[in-house]
Amino acid sequence: MKQRGFAAVLASVVVASGVVAAASLSAQQQAEPVVGDAARGKPLFSDTFNCYACHNFDAQSGERRLVPLNYTQEGFITFVQNSPLPNMPAFPDASPQQLADIYAYIRTIPADAPALREIPLLSDIQQRKTRAAAD
Amino acid sequence: MAKQVDSTSTGSVDRREFLKGAAAGAAGAAGAIVAGPASAQQAAPANQRPGVTRPTEADARADFVPPEPRVDARFIRHPSSDYMVDVLKALDFDYVAVNPGSAFEGLHESLINHGGNRKPEILTVLHEEAGAAIAHGYAKAAGKPMMTLMHGTVGLLHAGMGLFHAWCDRVPVFAIVGQPRNPTSVINRPHSAQDMGSIVRDFMKMDDEPTNLDVFANIAMRAYTIGLTPPRGPTLLVIDSELQEAPIPDPSKLTIPRLSMPSIPQGDSGAVKEAARLLVSAERPLIRTGKLARTSAGWDRLVELAELLQAPVDVGGYGSWQDFPSWHALYGSGGSDYRPDVILGLEINDMTPSVRAVRATGGKTISICSEYLSQGHNIHDFGNYSEVDVAIAADGEVTLPSLIEEIRKQSTGNAQRLRTARGAQVAAAHKAIRESEIDTARYGWNSSPVSVPRMVAELGRQIQNDDWAIVSGHQFTGQWQRRLLNHDKFYRYNGDSGGFGIGYDTPASVGGALAHREHGRLPIAIVGDGDFNFVGAGALWTAAHHKIPLLVIVHNNRAYHAEVMLVQRTAARRGRGNDMVDIGNVIRDPAPDYAKIAQGYGIYAEGPIADPLALGPALERALARVRAGEPALLDVISQPRGPT
Repeated sequence: MKQRGFAAVLASVVVASGVVAAASLSAQQQAEPVVGDAARGKPLFSDTFNCYACHNFDAQSGERRLVPLNYTQEGFITFVQNSPLPNMPAFPDASPQQLADIYAYIRTIPADAPALREIPLLSDIQQRKTRAAAD
Repeated sequence: MAKQVDSTSTGSVDRREFLKGAAAGAAGAAGAIVAGPASAQQAAPANQRPGVTRPTEADARADFVPPEPRVDARFIRHPSSDYMVDVLKALDFDYVAVNPGSAFEGLHESLINHGGNRKPEILTVLHEEAGAAIAHGYAKAAGKPMMTLMHGTVGLLHAGMGLFHAWCDRVPVFAIVGQPRNPTSVINRPHSAQDMGSIVRDFMKMDDEPTNLDVFANIAMRAYTIGLTPPRGPTLLVIDSELQEAPIPDPSKLTIPRLSMPSIPQGDSGAVKEAARLLVSAERPLIRTGKLARTSAGWDRLVELAELLQAPVDVGGYGSWQDFPSWHALYGSGGSDYRPDVILGLEINDMTPSVRAVRATGGKTISICSEYLSQGHNIHDFGNYSEVDVAIAADGEVTLPSLIEEIRKQSTGNAQRLRTARGAQVAAAHKAIRESEIDTARYGWNSSPVSVPRMVAELGRQIQNDDWAIVSGHQFTGQWQRRLLNHDKFYRYNGDSGGFGIGYDTPASVGGALAHREHGRLPIAIVGDGDFNFVGAGALWTAAHHKIPLLVIVHNNRAYHAEVMLVQRTAARRGRGNDMVDIGNVIRDPAPDYAKIAQGYGIYAEGPIADPLALGPALERALARVRAGEPALLDVISQPRGPT
């Protein structure tokens, strides 16, 4: 549910700021979208921009999940540069190339969310919580 | 063996005078009083001039550099500090946290030799802040205060942070600070103060400095009763060193006052009746709690009230105590669709958000809070003035029985039918929320470093058959402790610091663990690495020394991580980039090895543990040590944040 909420915000920002962002891109950038490099993106994620601080090193167990990242590279770049969220700073100085690299890195991180039935510990907690709530 | 002199003797000889006398060849008079130096003189080499003892370099240094005895080497048959201990024993303390200091050496000696080091028993602490925090955590878990003793000025300053937290958490700590009122050494002069209590007065319920033993007994009783009367808080006695040492002129004239605890103020019956009326007629009542339940009876009454009304209970975020079972169907705020029309605040300092939440729809707010009884103080932890509809200046816990009774009286059959429907709605919302939370916990389940939910869940697996108690706060693990551990008893959770300063969790956990020891419970603390670095390691030594079982899990994100995020946001807002925000915020290069630190203090420890598969077995090994009665530590390298 939270992921959907985040997605909705992201989508609205992409739509709302798309015109502005597009206008700010150079003709060359529009003609040739940047190609991200995951190897360059990793230190940008962990060090330069400290994305890990909120999203964790695994990009999925922190305050907002980034994995799986189901958005286009262009949408991601626009959102990060113009974030309207109170807890998510905008990074207007991050270049499209840097953000494309981060985007590429996040896309390489495998989703790590086994089904509940594959985590006996959590399903046991789920069952015990249900019993406790019914008591 | 020192010669005994009458306690009323004034013929004292101090060290300076003794040495002067020895140098003048007048050792006889001094030697008659203090046999030790005289014997040494007799054993002096034959080539020394007879009758003259040359001070050694050590003697000369000792003459100028304390510690030097403030009171002479007389034998004191009835020191006043013995009487002080008798008075303190009447207050039924089990423990006193002590980091030694010459300003209370008289009281220290009396606690050991006159009091037999029992009730109170001395806990040796390595820092006064740890002592205050241990007393703080102990008081919440034990339901009774602990004493802490501090050296003049310096010890009190060290303890200040711990006392501040106790103040903000409304927890009694019975603090005593020694006062060398007439310091004879250069070292003890800074440990004396014109107004010692003023150092911490801004966050003490009272402080006083007795001038004689009668006043001491009076003030000790007052400090105890005031500290335990809601809103509770720490109290301070300032005890002059010379008063501790002075002989009691006539012990037969001193008596120990009987402790007379005042009853705790309950809500006015008319106001309680009106509160009940609003709650009975409400369609969607919500109960919000702050620092409500001091006892298991208070916990039981809150459950009774919630179930009677079928109203959800929002225990709040950080700073509150555990007041309500975390897996109960009524736990929480009822879901996002539950719009309360009456909000009952129980020990909520600031009802402003509640007032705002219901104002637009004409809803009502009720506040039962002992903070109304508080006198003005400097720290702004009391919150805003709130325009509630029914404000009851009383203790929440002791008012609950009359409120429940009044609700029962006013309840009709129709009201009960409404409640049944409401309960079903709240239970359905609770089910959806708990399923969503478990779903969220799956993410990053196998990640290394270990995710916060997995760390808590792995712990839960290991302790599910134990009678456990979380004795640390939960400020840095979000809501995951309450979500994944069934806080089904009053003592399962001991609350946060209250003042949100770093350094409380580890020592306060030692205090909480001490309180649980006699009940055979399994105490566990999850503390941040930042917290541990303050006075945590030394506090664990106290646990080892006094055989206090406690598992400490260091939730190690190698940073003051909240500040990483805050500086990052600020830098981004100012368009200055984020590559420098680690400076001043992270604890790396070198990364401290907390397991080695703990091992150095004689504590079983493992770590760093970053592999989630290694965590379960490590917990099992460490918990085996704790169940056997000793402290243990696991350094768990964790993901920085838990999902919200």
